[in-house]
Amino acid sequence: MRRYYLGEFEEIVLLTVAVLGEGAYGVSITNELDQQSGRSVSLSAVHAALHRLEEKGMLSSYLGDATSERGGRRKRLFSVTALGSRTLNEIRTVRESLWNAIPPNSLPAIAIS
Amino acid sequence: MKKPSNPHPPRWADRLLEWFCAPHLLEEIQGDLYERFQRQVTLFGERSARQQYTWAVISFIRPFALKRNPNPYPNTLSTRLVMISNYFKIAWRNLIRNKVSALINLTGLTLGISACLVIGVITHFELSYDRFHPDSERIYRVIGTAKFNQAADAEAIGFVPRAVPQALRNEISGFEVVATFHNMESGVIIPNGSKDPKVFKGRDMDIEPAQIVLADPEYFEVFRYKWLAGSPQTALTDPFQVVISERKARLYFGALPLSSILGKEIIYRDSIRTTVSGIVADWKQNSDFTFTDFISSATIRASFLKREINLDEWTDIWSGSQTFVKLTKGNSKEKAVAQLATFGKKHFGPNRGTGEFKFKPSLQPLSDLHFNEVYQDNYSRKASLPTLYGLIGIALFILLIAAINFINLATAQSVRRSREVGVRKALGSNRGNLIGQFMSETLILTLCSVLIALGLAKPLLFAFRSFIPAGVQFSFFNPGILLFLLVITLVTVFLAGFYPSVVLSAFRPALALKGASATSGQQKGYLRKGLIVFQFTISLLFIIATLIVGRQLSFIRNKDLGFSSDAVVTISTLRDDKSAVLAQKIRQISDIEQVAMQWSAPLSDWYMLSMLTYEGKSKIDLEVSAKVGDEHFIPLYQFNLLAGRNLEHSDTLKELVVNATLVKKLGFKTNAAALGKLVMLNNRKYPIVGVISDFHENSLHALIKPTVIAYIPDMAKDLAVRLSTKGKKISDLGPILAKLQKNWHAVYPNEPFVYSFLDDSIQKLYSREQKTAQLVNTASAIAILISCLGLLGLATFTAEQRTKEIGVRKVLGASISSIIALLSKDFLVLVLIALCIASPIAWWAMSKWLTGFAYHVNLEWWVFVLAGLMAIGVALLTVSYHSIKAALRNPTESLKSE
Repeated sequence: MRRYYLGEFEEIVLLTVAVLGEGAYGVSITNELDQQSGRSVSLSAVHAALHRLEEKGMLSSYLGDATSERGGRRKRLFSVTALGSRTLNEIRTVRESLWNAIPPNSLPAIAIS
Repeated sequence: MKKPSNPHPPRWADRLLEWFCAPHLLEEIQGDLYERFQRQVTLFGERSARQQYTWAVISFIRPFALKRNPNPYPNTLSTRLVMISNYFKIAWRNLIRNKVSALINLTGLTLGISACLVIGVITHFELSYDRFHPDSERIYRVIGTAKFNQAADAEAIGFVPRAVPQALRNEISGFEVVATFHNMESGVIIPNGSKDPKVFKGRDMDIEPAQIVLADPEYFEVFRYKWLAGSPQTALTDPFQVVISERKARLYFGALPLSSILGKEIIYRDSIRTTVSGIVADWKQNSDFTFTDFISSATIRASFLKREINLDEWTDIWSGSQTFVKLTKGNSKEKAVAQLATFGKKHFGPNRGTGEFKFKPSLQPLSDLHFNEVYQDNYSRKASLPTLYGLIGIALFILLIAAINFINLATAQSVRRSREVGVRKALGSNRGNLIGQFMSETLILTLCSVLIALGLAKPLLFAFRSFIPAGVQFSFFNPGILLFLLVITLVTVFLAGFYPSVVLSAFRPALALKGASATSGQQKGYLRKGLIVFQFTISLLFIIATLIVGRQLSFIRNKDLGFSSDAVVTISTLRDDKSAVLAQKIRQISDIEQVAMQWSAPLSDWYMLSMLTYEGKSKIDLEVSAKVGDEHFIPLYQFNLLAGRNLEHSDTLKELVVNATLVKKLGFKTNAAALGKLVMLNNRKYPIVGVISDFHENSLHALIKPTVIAYIPDMAKDLAVRLSTKGKKISDLGPILAKLQKNWHAVYPNEPFVYSFLDDSIQKLYSREQKTAQLVNTASAIAILISCLGLLGLATFTAEQRTKEIGVRKVLGASISSIIALLSKDFLVLVLIALCIASPIAWWAMSKWLTGFAYHVNLEWWVFVLAGLMAIGVALLTVSYHSIKAALRNPTESLKSE
């Protein structure tokens, strides 16, 4: 099976698309990322990532409605494909098995606020 | 539509995005950016939002946004060919359907391109002179400024004293070669053994270029020829050698092989026997050095020519003696000129044996020779660069006017084609394709025009041959001309086609198919009006120039010259003693009123200046013009004698008649006061015996100078004859002239009878002005014609567009005249604006032209009004045909169909 490598940022964007469900498009994804990760993300970076993810077949998209605040332009709505979903799951499995493999108390303790 | 208070992202950032972003991504990206912008306006205010928008746009300059999607539809050669043939088919149909505007455009473009072509050929011809010589950038003519005495002005001179070249060779190191030649006019005799010799007459100075020179051997080092026989090293070293060109060799000796022509004898001036020592090939390229017979300059000292051409003369200059130098490699013009200045100081000045004569030598580049009218000589034909630039300007303006017609008509009719554009866009055509389509329509028209212009070029060159230099050739297969045509075609297509095709291709398909006018009409209307104003400004400039040049020329023709030139024939004699005999013989003829002996006519391009001194209360030195004639001179020309009497018959110079200006300059209160006063001329004192009123002795470009009329027997050798023309027609003059000729041959059996009517000679002084007038007339006719054609097209179109409006107005009771006024008013306003713009420009340009004349007409306001009225009249005539037609139309016809 061919495995797709996902960059960290791409992974987060893919996850955010999954979080947003029906309403995932450039602006909403950027806003969500802002709020969730607390880091300032540029719109162009998100668009670039979305573009690449779609090329890799992990996202599908269609053109949605136009709104007046967009100057009458339509938005491109994204949803996660089966491939995207499988890749996310694989990453998660790998991560979890790795987490499970860490001996207890071997990580320095941190307080989780 | 958005409310104006709605905040907008920066327009230029949007433009930037639209430019770089791939079209398939643009909508979503721009939408997202807008959405975010609106949110940021509410969060941070408009200013900050605009800044962030700009940054966001810039951060989108990334590979993914730049990369274009490949065209999903195959764009193969075959489909492209199909589309192109479709473009041409549609273009053709369009031209056929809009015959009037097609014809207008075709006429305009043809005229414009013809003008460009003809003027391009002339310019190319003039600029090609003497460009082909090897090392031509190092070849200079030695020229200078000369002052004949202290009081005289320094004059720019295209030649040097005859002793200078040899001194240059000895004293100045920076010249690789110094070469001189002396122009010579002569008939040619070719001895032919025991048979009669072949005789060739001297050239006709008015038509043929200079042919014979006495040249140094160095001439062939400066100007390279291909030697067909003989060698440049030995050909001109000895006296009585001659090198001839191949053409002359064939003329003189027929089909003889070139090598056997060497050593043959050629006789110049009846007694200079030379032998052919070399034959060179004629230059194919254009050159002012048209010489074909090069006699060795050593011949001068070895023959009677030494009396005519004094090679050791320092104190005078002759236009026939020319000096060229070739600078050594690495030497600069500036350095050489500095050396020459030192040379000038060394040889000319007090106590250097050159008297009061001063000469400051300098250099003129070879490339300047054909264009600089300051430095005169006996062989080169000067082309005036300002005239050439003027011609180029006229051609370009005419082409521009024609292109404007095209633009106006095309944009005016664009509404008609909006449906076609809509359908094409709906079927998948993009903007580039549409621009290509409309450009190809322009291309078809332009190509047709180019073809017609090519056909017209030869007839045009023939029709305007009077101001086209002889030798201008038009051949289609010249690569230069082909390239020029290509450039003209491309420029015209671009000028005329670009804007309309951009406008047409910008239609929004949905709007266009709904039938709405797809562009905002107001703005386009301004552009069209602006272009019409521009066209009429140019036309008006030409009209005003035509009127003023015409007025000045008629002023010149009708100006009282101060003497009568009617029916005066001047005869050039050999300037020997027999001319007096001829004068006596001619006096016997019955139809001759008077005969005078003179040096030159009162008004001619010959003049003689002299210093006159008068010692009254104070000593007055005056440069005066001297006219030489006998006692018949003043009555023959009917000068107006203000005081005193005519010259008396005499054998020597003993008294003077002066003009009123001279009397005034010497400070006399009345003309009579000057009578009997002694003035000094050439170191001798002569009394003033008469005063005549001022007369023009030069063209009206020059002010009237103080002038003396005196009889100097040695100089008064030409004849002026006044024919009796009472009750005669011009055709009756033939027998009188025949009688004159008979008498001439009785005195000079072997010389041609050379005469001219003084009126004609005076007119010749203004040949340049007459050419200017002809040119301006032609240009204004063409400009007006093209502008009016454009106006006609537009009027046709508006009348058609407003058919329904006119119908409704008529039904509601509008009168025919009010409708005509309605349709014409718009155009009239434009012409008036054009008049306001054109008048000051024309005023400035024409007053500059008129300052070239010492005597000229004034620029009067009514000329401008007249020009305006003419333009309005022409515009009205053009527009009215269609306005009247539209106004007379029965409203039922125009309103019944929807």
